[in-house]
Amino acid sequence: MIEVVCNDRLGKKVRVKCNTEDSIRDLKKLIAAQTGTRWDKIVLKKWYTIFKDHVSLGDYEIHDGMNLELYYQ
Amino acid sequence: MGSSKKHRERGEAAAAPGAGSGTAGGGAGPAEDPPPASAPAPASASASSSSSSSRHREHKKHKHRGGGSGSGSGSSERRGKRSRSRGERSRRRSGGDEAAAPGGSSSRGHGRAGERGAAEAEGGRRAKRERREDGHETATALKSGSGEALSLSIEETNKLRAKLGLKPLEVGTIKKEAGTKEDPMAADVINPMALRQREEIREKLAAAKEKRLLNQKLGKIKALGEDDPWLDDAAAWIERSRKLQQEKDLAEKRAKLLEEMDQEFGISSLVEEEFGQRKKDSYSSRDLQGLTVEHTIESFQEGETLVLTLKDKGVLVEEEDVLVNVNLVDKEKADKNVELRKKKPDYEPYSQDESVDDMAQAKPRVLLAKYDETLGGLRRPGFRLAAGGEADGTAQRELQQVREALRSQAQSLAGPGPRLAAEYLTPEEMSVTFRKPKQRVKRLRRKEKLLTAEDLLALGPAPSDHGDHGSRSRGRGRRQRVQEEGEGESQEEADEDPLEDPPPPPSDDTRVENMDISSDDEALPPGSPPVLEEDEAEQELQKQLEKGRRLRQLQQLREGGDKVAEAVRRLARAGPGLDADMGVEPEEAGAEPERKGAIVFNATSEFCRTLGEIPTYGLAGNREDPQDLLDFERDEERSVTGASGSDGEENMGWSTVNLDEEKQQQDFSASSTTILDEEPIVNRGLAAALMLCQNKGLLETTVQKVARVKAPNKSLPSAVYCIEDKMAIDDKYSRREEYRGFTQDFKEKDGYRPDVKIEYVDETGRKLTPKEAFRQLSHRFHGKGSGKMKTERRMKKLDEEALLKKMSSSDTPLGTVALLQEKQKAQKTPYIVLSGSGKSMNANTITK
Repeated sequence: MIEVVCNDRLGKKVRVKCNTEDSIRDLKKLIAAQTGTRWDKIVLKKWYTIFKDHVSLGDYEIHDGMNLELYYQ
Repeated sequence: MGSSKKHRERGEAAAAPGAGSGTAGGGAGPAEDPPPASAPAPASASASSSSSSSRHREHKKHKHRGGGSGSGSGSSERRGKRSRSRGERSRRRSGGDEAAAPGGSSSRGHGRAGERGAAEAEGGRRAKRERREDGHETATALKSGSGEALSLSIEETNKLRAKLGLKPLEVGTIKKEAGTKEDPMAADVINPMALRQREEIREKLAAAKEKRLLNQKLGKIKALGEDDPWLDDAAAWIERSRKLQQEKDLAEKRAKLLEEMDQEFGISSLVEEEFGQRKKDSYSSRDLQGLTVEHTIESFQEGETLVLTLKDKGVLVEEEDVLVNVNLVDKEKADKNVELRKKKPDYEPYSQDESVDDMAQAKPRVLLAKYDETLGGLRRPGFRLAAGGEADGTAQRELQQVREALRSQAQSLAGPGPRLAAEYLTPEEMSVTFRKPKQRVKRLRRKEKLLTAEDLLALGPAPSDHGDHGSRSRGRGRRQRVQEEGEGESQEEADEDPLEDPPPPPSDDTRVENMDISSDDEALPPGSPPVLEEDEAEQELQKQLEKGRRLRQLQQLREGGDKVAEAVRRLARAGPGLDADMGVEPEEAGAEPERKGAIVFNATSEFCRTLGEIPTYGLAGNREDPQDLLDFERDEERSVTGASGSDGEENMGWSTVNLDEEKQQQDFSASSTTILDEEPIVNRGLAAALMLCQNKGLLETTVQKVARVKAPNKSLPSAVYCIEDKMAIDDKYSRREEYRGFTQDFKEKDGYRPDVKIEYVDETGRKLTPKEAFRQLSHRFHGKGSGKMKTERRMKKLDEEALLKKMSSSDTPLGTVALLQEKQKAQKTPYIVLSGSGKSMNANTITK
């Protein structure tokens, strides 16, 4: 179980607990549950790298305590 | 966090199912459709309760359930007051609360009544706390906005995950990274001492193990410190030595036995052979036979010893061995280098002096001998060793002797060689080349005798000699005249033909004449010696030649002389009446014989004939005026001019005569017609009238030059323009019509000298200078005009010229004089006042 921090720099900072095998889609859903937006409107980025939905967190090497950038589309 | 949910829910118009304070429920709520609103309602209630419980989890759990519900209801009540939608929500919530309440407070049923009262009392307090908490919530909401992250607990997350259909969290694999950045925890202490100790122990163990093994191995060897019993004790030593001796004896016996056994089997000889053979392979001088030594025998001097070694050769090379002495090799190399360094010329075309070898054998002719070494390989000297490794030089010496003998016998083909020639003849040469010169001398002497003796006697009373030996002043002719006059009478009856006069020598040169005569009269002496025969032949030849020459000379002289004689005669006849114009007389003299039909060719006449017509003939004024001469005189002149050959106008003279006549006739005719023809012309017709007008000059017959078509400024397109090549006309039909004959100018146009003036005009009509005309032509020819710059310059120049022309001669370019006059008119004074400061003296005051 890892805890990922998602920040959109506009006031929304969320700490989400999830598994390493979860996909980005699942993460987005969890974020959506916490932030209140729709999960398909969320874009997770790290600088210019957009995290794709079908890839797991482990494959992206997202570890515990990593900061992800929260954007909306 | 919960408050923020509430805020959001307030903003949402869509009916969201409860969960005002429940984050997860609230999150799930708006995300999901409104229809399943009732379903999450209890969940939301529970969520809300859970959320509130999560908030206050730390201190009051069970109390909060009731409190939570109470507060929830309280808060819902409050919210219900705010808005209707919220009221709906609150109703739902209250409904939910009520549903939850019995479920939640079932366990605390007994405390309910008391609690209710307390709850109510607390409710007020709770309400206050709620308010505070609300404010706190808002405060926290703001805080979260600044930096605090919202997060759910594990249970909440698991619930959420279950809702979403995800596996629950794997709690076991929580990383022990000793906390996050926010709350760092102390890591495990790494004890380096313990680590080192462990390492040391390990090493020690390993070393001990090795030692044990080594000791086991080496345990067998005796150390120095060990005691031998027999060293200290004599008896022991004796025993030991005895033992050793016994062993030796035994060994010997055994060896003997073995040998005997070998001998029995006959193997001993083989064994001996094996051991004995090594001595026999020695190398001696007899093995040197046949080896080559790569030096000349001469290099080995008597009394010295040289060590020869095998020459280096490649491993795989299978040539035979060669012996060399290292020092000699070096010396030879050094000599060769010295030779090379001398830089002798490579090519000597005449180097091969002898075509024959030392041994009297023909040397082959070698071409480019300097390349033989590089192409064929270096030829090394050498000799072979005979039996026993010996070699002697006797053979070489014998060869050398033979060579020398042959050389001495050789004959050279060079010959005596060139010598300076002697200036004087040797007696032998004298006898060989010259014949006897005596007769010649005799001959010459006789000739002289003839001249002096006989001649004088013979010519003494000769008629040719009147005692007058001639003088320069008299000239040649005079003598003849005297002679002729003396003989003239006798000859007048005879033919006047001057060619048949008897041949008296007309020249003063008596010696020549006399020589001729003497040569003619000379009779050969009959008794001439036979040696003179050769001379006679020559004499005869010379005689004939001289005769011919003399005849020719005489003829020429006679002719000349005859002509002169005739001239003299005429002079005597005509007297001083005629001019002494030798130009006329010879013509007349020449005319007489020519009248008789003989044509005399003269060099000068021929030359003059080929000269051609002399245009200035008759214009110099030497001739008499044609008008003064009477007809017969003209005829004479004409005949003279026509007939004379010396002036060389035979052909042209006849033609000029004709032309002159024709010209005269024409002149007459022309002058007659113009005077007469005026009036009848007009009556004849329009053409005649025009002719009259033209003659009078009433018509303008000059052709006006039309202004040229404006030449395009841009370059001519080359497609439109082509250069006509007249040589391209090559078909046979057109060629036939060409005139290939001799063309000559018309005779009528002889005096026609037209005054040709070609004027070129440019597009504006201006007459062009030759330079500009040529420029125009060349532009037309090349098909391209000038570039932009050039044309602009030209235009500018033309404009300037135009301006120049426009400029008034009497006034300045600015028209100052005119302005002055205007001003004067205006002021009505003959002057202009130039006064005031410079400011008033601007253009405005001066202009009109």
